[in-house]
Amino acid sequence: MTQVRTTPPPAKTPAEASNRVSLSLYSRILARPEVGALVAAVIIFIFFLSVAPAFRSAESFFTVLYQSSTIGIVAVGVGLLMIGGEFDLSAGVITITAGLVNSMLCWNYGMNLWVGALVSLVFCLFIGFLNGYLVMKTGIPSFLITLGTFFVLQGANLGVTKLVTGSVSSPDISRIDGFSSLQAIFASSFKIGPVTVWITVIWWLLFVALAAWILQRTRTGNWIFAVGGNPDSARAVGVPLVRTKIGLFMTVSFFGWFVGMHLLYRFNTLQAGNGVGNEFLYIIAAVVGGTLLTGGYGNAIGVAIGAFIFGMTSLGIVYAGWDPNWFKAFLGVMLLLAVLVNLYVKRMSTARKVG
Amino acid sequence: MMLRMRGARLVAVAAVVALGLAACSEGGKQETTGTSGGGANAAGSSGYTIAMITHETPGDTFWDKIKAGAQQAAKDEGVTLKYSNDPDASKQAGLIQSAVDSKVSGIATTLVTPDALAGSVKAATDAKIPVVGFNSGIDQYQKLGALMYFGSDENVAGTAAGKRIGEAGAKHPLCVIQAAGSVALEARCAGVKSAVPGTENIQVNGADDGAVVSTLQAKLSQDKSIDYIVTLGAPIAIDALKAMDAAASKAKLVTFDLNAEAAQDIQDGKIEFSIDQQPYVQGYLAVSSLYLYLKNGNDIGGGRAVLTGPSFVDKTNIDKIVPFTKNNTR
Amino acid sequence: MTDTLADHADAGLRKGEPLIEMTGIGKSYGAIRALRGINLRVNAGEVTCVLGDNGAGKSTLIKIMSGLHPHNEGSLKVDGQELTFASPREALDHGIATVYQDLAVVSLMEVWRNFFLGSELTAGRFPLAGMKIKDMKRIADEELRKMGIVVKDINQPIGTLSGGQRQCVAIARAVYFGARVLILDEPTAALGVKQSGVVLKYTAAARDAGLGVVFITHNPHHAYLVGDHFIILKLGGTALDKNRSEVGLDELTTQMAGGDELTELSHELGR
Repeated sequence: MTQVRTTPPPAKTPAEASNRVSLSLYSRILARPEVGALVAAVIIFIFFLSVAPAFRSAESFFTVLYQSSTIGIVAVGVGLLMIGGEFDLSAGVITITAGLVNSMLCWNYGMNLWVGALVSLVFCLFIGFLNGYLVMKTGIPSFLITLGTFFVLQGANLGVTKLVTGSVSSPDISRIDGFSSLQAIFASSFKIGPVTVWITVIWWLLFVALAAWILQRTRTGNWIFAVGGNPDSARAVGVPLVRTKIGLFMTVSFFGWFVGMHLLYRFNTLQAGNGVGNEFLYIIAAVVGGTLLTGGYGNAIGVAIGAFIFGMTSLGIVYAGWDPNWFKAFLGVMLLLAVLVNLYVKRMSTARKVG
Repeated sequence: MMLRMRGARLVAVAAVVALGLAACSEGGKQETTGTSGGGANAAGSSGYTIAMITHETPGDTFWDKIKAGAQQAAKDEGVTLKYSNDPDASKQAGLIQSAVDSKVSGIATTLVTPDALAGSVKAATDAKIPVVGFNSGIDQYQKLGALMYFGSDENVAGTAAGKRIGEAGAKHPLCVIQAAGSVALEARCAGVKSAVPGTENIQVNGADDGAVVSTLQAKLSQDKSIDYIVTLGAPIAIDALKAMDAAASKAKLVTFDLNAEAAQDIQDGKIEFSIDQQPYVQGYLAVSSLYLYLKNGNDIGGGRAVLTGPSFVDKTNIDKIVPFTKNNTR
Repeated sequence: MTDTLADHADAGLRKGEPLIEMTGIGKSYGAIRALRGINLRVNAGEVTCVLGDNGAGKSTLIKIMSGLHPHNEGSLKVDGQELTFASPREALDHGIATVYQDLAVVSLMEVWRNFFLGSELTAGRFPLAGMKIKDMKRIADEELRKMGIVVKDINQPIGTLSGGQRQCVAIARAVYFGARVLILDEPTAALGVKQSGVVLKYTAAARDAGLGVVFITHNPHHAYLVGDHFIILKLGGTALDKNRSEVGLDELTTQMAGGDELTELSHELGR
C-alpha cells in the first residue's frame, strides 16, 4: 500500500460542472439491484392483504418475518458469496451439521453446551475455509466443490448420528448445562402486546444492516464486488482475491452455523436428514433480491427482500386457505420473473449512456 | 481477513476442547443397557442369508425401528441380514435384482411402488427365492408373488384414527402431510377423512422443522375452527405442539408413529394418542417368517396379510411403552 | 493535460534513469519455452515499445513484469535491485502498474470505485472500517477531469463508458497512485482511430511526466508515434532491438509483417 496517497493533491483548477449532467432520480433508482424485488414484495403484500383476512394482523406479519429470518440469515451470507462470484450448495445441510456437532459432542462427552457451540462454530468455519481453499487452489467451479461438500455432510450427518445415538435423530439436550443461556441468544422470543417477536428476526435485521454496510461502505465490500465482477482485473490492481473469496465461504458457513444453533435450541433435537433443499431457497432469495448469478452485482437489502418474499408467499398461501401444494409453482414463477427483471436491469445499467 | 487469526484460533480450539472435556454436565448420555437383547446364536449360524430392501429415505427414525426389529430377528435366529434401501423405485428394483443375483436365501421387501418392483420380484420367484412383503403394498403383494405380508393398512389406520377423534367430537381436523406425493401418507389422510368428512389436508416441508412450525402456525391462525390436528409422523407432532403454542390454538393433537419425545408428550397429556403401526414388529416378522419358511415350511397369516397395526398408544398404556421408545424399539 | 499528469508523477524520477532492467529473461511452462534471452530496459521518461505477432511472447513478458508469473531464467532488476515478483501486489508496491486491454476495470462497478479499487481510502486498517466515500468520489472526479476525461456521472458503472475512456481511467488511476512504470497491454487494439488517439496522447503525457512506459502492441504505426525504443518479439526471442534513431517506421512495419519471410514469400508468389 506504499503508493496510496492519503492526502489529495491540491486541485489546480476549480471544478467545472457545466458540461456534466447528473442522472435523473428515476434512472438512479432503477439502477439499484433491489428495486425489482421491492416492487414485487409490495405487490405480493397487497395481494395477500386483499385475499387473506388472516394475513391482516401484526401477529401474522411477525410469523412471516420469523419464517423469512430462518431463510434470510443464511441468505445474507449466500448473497455476499454470490456477489463475490461463487456458489455454496452445502449451506443447507451445514445448518444441521452445526446443530448435530454441538448436541452430540455435549451429549456424548457430558460437555457444557457452550463448549459444544464453540467447537461447532470452529468446525463450520473450517468447512467454509475448505470450500474456499479447494475452489481457489484447484480452479474447479464452486458449484462442483460445494456439491461434493454437500453430499459429504449429508452422509456424515446421518452416519455419525446413527453411530453415536443409534438413531437418526439427535438426543434431547434441553437438560444439559448452558441450554437456557444459549436458547436466550439463538431461539428466544418476546411479546409486544399480542405479537410474538422471535429473536432471529432481530438478528436477521442486524446481519442485513451489517452486510449492507460492509458492501457499500468498506474496502472489503469494494473487494467483494470486484472479485465477483472481474477477478483477474481485481487481482491485477492488488485486491487479495484468494483471501476475499475464502472469507466469503467462511461467512456463509458462519451464518449456517447460526441458523443451526437456532434450530437446535428451539427444537432440542434435530433430524439428521433435514436441511437438504434449503440451499436452493437461499440462492433463490439472493437472486429474487437482485443478485446477479454471475457475480459482481447485488446488495444485502435486496437479499433480505428476497427472503421476505419467500416467507410471505410460503405462508400467505396458507393464510389465504389455499392448497399449499401450489407453493412451489408460485416460487418458480417468482424466480423466473426476478431473473428477467435482473437481466433487464443489467442491460440498462451497462448500456452506454454517454459517449 | 479471517485468516490472519488462524494461529490464535487454533489455540482457542485447544483451550475449548480441554475445557469441554473437563466440564461435566447433566442430561447427557446415560449408560443404557444394550438396546437389543442378547441373541443366543452367532450371526449366520443357521446358514441363511436374508436380504431386506426398503424405500427408506435416509434420516427417518421410523426406519431405524424396522431395521432394529430385523436385526434382532437375525440375531435371534442366526441369520445373516443384508439391508439396503433406496427411495427411488427403479433403484429399489435394482437392489432386489442384485439380491437375486447374489443368490440370497430369502428376500423381504417393501412394495411401495408395486408396478415398478413387479419385474424384479418375479425374477426372485423364478429363481426360487422366497419373497415376503412388509410395510407397504398390502393390496398387491399376492399378485406380485410374495408369500406373506406384514404391515398395516394405511387407509384402515387412518379410518381408525378418524373414528376415534370423531367419537370425541372432531368436526374439522387438519391432516398434516410432510412429504409431497406420498401414496401412504395420502391414504392415511383419506382414511381420516372417510370417518370425519370435515377433514382438511395441509402440505408442509418435513425437511425443515422451522418451516413446519410457521406453516402450521399460519394455518391455525387463519382457520380458528380447526379442532384436531393429525400428524403423520412423530417429529411433525413435536413441531405441531410448538405451532399450537404459538398460535394459542385449542386444538387437540393426535399422531401416527412414536418416538421418545412423542411418548413423553402422550404421558404428559399433550398428545391425545398415537396410532402405532409397530415398525419393529414389521422388521422382526419379515425376517422371522422367512426363517420359519426356509427351515420349517411355515406360512404365517393363513393366506392373508398380517396386520401390525393400528395399535393405539394413549394414557392408558403409555407407562409400559415409554421405556421401549427409549430403546428405539417402539 | 501534460502538466496535471506531471503533478502526480513521482518527483524523484529522473529522465533516462533505468527503472527496470531485464537480462537474459526466460520463462518455461513445463516443457514449453515461452520466452528466452530477453534483454529489456525501461528508462524513466521513455516509452519502450514491445511489438510482436500473436504468440510471440508479449503476454508472457507482461506477466513477468507485472508479477502474475515469476520468471525462471535471467535476472530482473528494479531500481538496480534484483528480485522476483510473487504477486501483482508486490509489483504494484514497486511502482509497476499494468493496464490490461480487457481486464482494466470491473465494468459493473461505479467509476469512483474502480478508480480506487485495491487502494481504497479507509478510516482505519481493520476490515470493517468505513471508506471515505465522499473524498473518494471527489478525488476521482477531480482527477479525471483534470486529465481531460469527462464522465457524466462519477456514480455510473464504468461499463457505460467507451473503451477509450475506460483505458484512460485505468491509466489515470495508475498514475494517480504513484506508478513509476506503466505497462500498457494492447491499449489501442480494440479502439477506433479517434479513441486510439486519445489513449496515445495519455501515453505521451505519462512519458513526459517522467514515467517509464512499456507499450505493448502489434500496431507499428501506433508504436512509432510514441516510442523511444523498439523491441520486436518473434517465437519467444528478440527479433529486433533498436533505438528510435536507428530504425524507421518502414523497417518496423516490414519486420512486423514478417520481414525476411515476407520477402521470400513475395519472390515465391512473384507476379
